[in-house]
Amino acid sequence: MSRPSYGPLSLLAASLLPALGAPAIHSTRHGLVCVGVLLLVSLVVVRDWSSTVRRLGLVALAALSLGLSTWLYGGRDLDVAAGATLRVLYLVIPAAVLTPFIDPTRLGDHLAQRLHLPARPVVASTAALQRLEALGWQWQQIARARRARGVGADGGILHRARVTASMALSLMVSTMRMSGSMSLAMDARGFGAAHRRTFAEPAPWQRRDTAILLGGVAVAALPWLYLVVTA
Amino acid sequence: MLAGLDLRIEPGEKVLLAGASGSGKSTLLRAIAGLLQTTDVGELSGEVSVDGRHPQERAGTVGLLLQDPSAAVVADRVGRDVAFGLENTRTPPDLMPGLVAGALRAAGFPYDERRSTRTLSGGETQRLALAGALALRPQVLLLDEPTSMLDADNAARVRRSVLAACEQQGTTLVVVEHQIGPWVEHLDRCVVLDRSGAVIADGRPGEVLARLGESLAAEGIWVPDLPAPRPLSVDPVLVTPTLHVPVGEVLLAAERVGVTYGSPFGGSAGEPRNVALDDVSCVLHEGESVVLGGGSGAGKSTLLAALAGLQAPDRGAVHIHPRLAGRKGRVLHRLTSPELAARVAWVPQLPEHGLVTHTVLDELLVSARALGQPAAAAERRARALLEHLGLAALAGSSVHHLSGGEQRRLVVAAALVHGPAGLLLDEPTVGQDRNTWAAVTGLCLAARNAGAAVGVATHDAVATHALVSPGGRTLTLERGRLT
Amino acid sequence: MSSSVESQPNRASGGRRTTVLASRPLLGYRTVDLVSAAMLGVAFGVVFWAWSLVYNAPAAALYAVFPPLTALLAGPWLLAGVVAGLLVRRPGAALLAEVVAAAVSALIGSQWGWTVLLSGALQGVGVEIALALFAWRRFGPFVAVLAGSLAAACEVVFYEWWQYVVDFSWAWKLAYLGAFVVSGAVVAGLGGLLLVRALAKTGAANAMPPGQEELERSAV
Repeated sequence: MSRPSYGPLSLLAASLLPALGAPAIHSTRHGLVCVGVLLLVSLVVVRDWSSTVRRLGLVALAALSLGLSTWLYGGRDLDVAAGATLRVLYLVIPAAVLTPFIDPTRLGDHLAQRLHLPARPVVASTAALQRLEALGWQWQQIARARRARGVGADGGILHRARVTASMALSLMVSTMRMSGSMSLAMDARGFGAAHRRTFAEPAPWQRRDTAILLGGVAVAALPWLYLVVTA
Repeated sequence: MLAGLDLRIEPGEKVLLAGASGSGKSTLLRAIAGLLQTTDVGELSGEVSVDGRHPQERAGTVGLLLQDPSAAVVADRVGRDVAFGLENTRTPPDLMPGLVAGALRAAGFPYDERRSTRTLSGGETQRLALAGALALRPQVLLLDEPTSMLDADNAARVRRSVLAACEQQGTTLVVVEHQIGPWVEHLDRCVVLDRSGAVIADGRPGEVLARLGESLAAEGIWVPDLPAPRPLSVDPVLVTPTLHVPVGEVLLAAERVGVTYGSPFGGSAGEPRNVALDDVSCVLHEGESVVLGGGSGAGKSTLLAALAGLQAPDRGAVHIHPRLAGRKGRVLHRLTSPELAARVAWVPQLPEHGLVTHTVLDELLVSARALGQPAAAAERRARALLEHLGLAALAGSSVHHLSGGEQRRLVVAAALVHGPAGLLLDEPTVGQDRNTWAAVTGLCLAARNAGAAVGVATHDAVATHALVSPGGRTLTLERGRLT
Repeated sequence: MSSSVESQPNRASGGRRTTVLASRPLLGYRTVDLVSAAMLGVAFGVVFWAWSLVYNAPAAALYAVFPPLTALLAGPWLLAGVVAGLLVRRPGAALLAEVVAAAVSALIGSQWGWTVLLSGALQGVGVEIALALFAWRRFGPFVAVLAGSLAAACEVVFYEWWQYVVDFSWAWKLAYLGAFVVSGAVVAGLGGLLLVRALAKTGAANAMPPGQEELERSAV
């Protein structure tokens, strides 16, 4: 596995910072300018286009459906609808572009070593995230068992909601049993007393992380700057 | 759980801890590890010391391997995972690579430290857990059934790795296993606990087993050199299919079935999509039993789920006998949930996932109710089955309070009690004691003799023998194809 | 005696049910507390994903009736924090579970990417405020409903008003908040409490305070 060249903290910050800028977008032209700039910047960052395009497609679909419903039920005002679409795009495009570079284990390393968050909750969380796929398969097994027994989730929304709740309980039962054995295995390797611990891999903050962070700040500021300039 | 137990184990000794389920073997292991505070509740008295000190005084003094190998996985890559204990004990990072590599070597782990932990088989994951324990130089290694979920080859590899590492480092070893046969020749001592948690025998394994072998076998333990248990005899009337196909005709037919998948979340995470099944065709006849064999990852579970109408094939289809067609036709995965339940039953690998309700009796009646079967007759059948399986006293209990073996017997009975024409089971005997093994194979054979088509995915050779002889078949899968 | 399991856990009286509290100090997390909270986050991340597959059709129908009503379907997304808070009973458990659940959504491939972390954190904070108001000593229906409501309110007031429903009029925004809070109170609050009690009955939560309550009740 080749190492991503940016640290996860700067990438995460750059994914989240647009949330400060997006609310400023209200008109079509404002939105077009901002999203246009964002897409130009993305051209520099993106290397793996096939998966990025797929994720951007999902984002566009979500934004368009939001725009459509805004238009249908929000007074059929095209400018408002387009503004809503572009605002969501502005919020989510950075996350869609940067998401694949963020690896949870490395994020944990950096949260603990660089941000000095308490090590035990951080490490427990990254350990738990290793179980994601296993819990996904368990959910599938639980769903299959119900279908095979004649009590599957076919039917209306209320029935499906009830079945989902009962499946959630089954999943919680397995989850708690897994948590118990994971805790035993972790305590057997000294995790119980590891309030201060070392990390096998360093969590450096590089110059390019500063660049990405500044980029994120710029993305947050851009919609506001536009307002100031055009006012 | 345990009361007033005294036990002294010498350095370097290799001890087998045996006893009925519920005798507190696992509790004792957690006590020796000094980890009773991790998950146990209740009163604790007495003391455990290793080399005169509390076992947790130096982290990693006591290594622990658990039944579920993935319980020990904490990181995405092998190297990070092995380093976990070193990080916790504040080992300087520059010393870690050497210690990690040494531990992987000592555990006989076949890949290097960059390997993703997600790509490992159960046996490889267990050896990774062993490496994680060895990295901390344990004085004692405790094994809580670490090979019970593995096939024979992988179990043997794990066993060899453990024994070699103990030999090399002079580690004391305490083993709890249902299948004690393969361990016996390597161990110096056998301690037997009774149901109250008291020591009833303590001596050389050969002598203890010669004296207590029969009674241990009666408690369900797989004692070496004893014949396999006889499958429980179950009244076929209780498991007779309610929907019939003519004698000997094909009930289920898989036609050129192909399945690809990557992630449980629909392969959307950009993961490589693997071939789980490739162009598989096979049939299950009325009144026959078929064993699906093959190594781990060969596609047994996927084929079983396809034959149960639970896995929609990407290519090809599974059809059911025309007489049993549903509203939308013969394609199995298109049947509605109640239609499917009336025709084909399926039992997941872990019984816990197969439980859909709260009390034992309800569990047996859920499908009958969903299918609108007469309540009184269904309850009579259910109670009679519980009687057969030794679960009658538990009819009103919560399904979650049963032991693993009791849950296993319950889910197999619950799959059968409403009379489906097909029965498909995923590893129903793995890790089970002799009594549950006999009950499960007995239920399968009774269903088959009553006219059901029975398909079992398993790597249990003894169960395979019991299910296919006489008159059954074995199909072997290798990398998603029938051989 | 070299070690002892706490046989007399902390209790708070009041009400008909005895309340077992987490051992003190409140921030003295055992490994199993941390791992359970994080694992519940992962498990609910999976449940959220399953719910998102069911969500679209009824949400579209409600939107057609009156757009703010879609918030009535949002309750399930607040469950992780309420359940972890009521189960672990330590400060921060709800926040940890919600953030992990949000990370799961990002990893599975939500179209919102890692921005869901902001939602997750705000929802977790809502639950923490409710539990803090009672100093982590009360975990009954009232506290559960309050936790679900505050999780909903934090999410709407600090996030959704500014990012998702920006173009709603203020009347609609308030209606949206109301519907979200109702859903949070009923589905996440009461539903979460019922899930925790059902979980305690299975015996799978015996290492947690609600599991101990259940053990004591069945021992009487």
